[in-house]
Amino acid sequence: MTESEQNNIFGKWLQQHKGQIFKVVRAYAATTMDQDDLFQEIMIQVWHSIPAFRKESLVNTWVYRIALNTAIKWVGKEQKYAKSRESLDTVQAVLQEAKVPLDERLSWLYEEIHKFDEIDRSITLLLLDGFSYKEMAAMLGITESNVGVKINRIKKQLIARSKQLNPYGI
Amino acid sequence: MEFDELQKIWDSQNQRPMYMINEDALHNRIHTKKAKASHITNASEWLLIGVNAGAGGLLLGLTVSKVGSTVFMYLLAGWMLITALAVLVSRIRRLQRENRFDRSLVGELDHAIAMTTYQVRLSQLMRWNNLPIALLVIAGLLEGGKPLWFAFALVLFFILVNFASGWEHRFYQSRKLELETLQRKLQQG
Repeated sequence: MTESEQNNIFGKWLQQHKGQIFKVVRAYAATTMDQDDLFQEIMIQVWHSIPAFRKESLVNTWVYRIALNTAIKWVGKEQKYAKSRESLDTVQAVLQEAKVPLDERLSWLYEEIHKFDEIDRSITLLLLDGFSYKEMAAMLGITESNVGVKINRIKKQLIARSKQLNPYGI
Repeated sequence: MEFDELQKIWDSQNQRPMYMINEDALHNRIHTKKAKASHITNASEWLLIGVNAGAGGLLLGLTVSKVGSTVFMYLLAGWMLITALAVLVSRIRRLQRENRFDRSLVGELDHAIAMTTYQVRLSQLMRWNNLPIALLVIAGLLEGGKPLWFAFALVLFFILVNFASGWEHRFYQSRKLELETLQRKLQQG
């Protein structure tokens, strides 16, 4: 595959799947600087993965898997090197937050997702984005029954937290 | 709220973009990182092979050409060449194992753990390798009539090298531990 073909595919995937990638970025990185950093990491991994894509899965699933896997590994790395990373003052930011304000209930939901550990965050995103247990099991490499147990626990926690009083009055 | 309501809140974001992308900046960053990308393991393997083969070869050449060289210098040159060969074999075996991991999250974690395990072993091996090299260097210099203070300074140098190797080794160990913790979280219900 030539670099030009790789760039074309990358541009197409970016346009079609940026929504999914944004969700992963928002769920794993809290500050603007971190979101920019994680987005770039995911993009680099997606770019590198293009020659390895064998069309055995949907592009959607492939990109999501790369985004989640990069984010999970990034969390540990970021905590360790947060202080040594370049400041956004010295580099050009890739991501800019859209001007449209988000629903405050959605911000609350992201905050709740942030409280889960790295693995449960992945499962929550996959669940909310409508992946089946079978697809999740294949993407994560665990059994469907294990996925089921985790989802059951996550749903209970989210429902319980939504019933507690909070600043958004939900 | 029930889960259906949470789902509706989640789906509401699909109609509007959360961020704007500066595509030129993204393109530049990817190409810069791609140019910089030299894998740590790859680089450290080539460094070890190059340094050991180069130093071992040079030492052997100098020792052979010099009349009255000590046996320790021959041993040191041989040891360094063997180390370079061992790292080369180890690298070939690592590359052959590269494609046996599946594309799931567990598969990726298994791959990352295998890579870190390899780095832990390599750094441990290189740490222990300092010992015979230090002994042979010091023995060779003393045999060649160098003063005792020089040998003492070398001992200090090798102690510092050992500390640096230990730091590198612990870095890989903690990375491995983090990945294993993630793997356990994924497999537990």
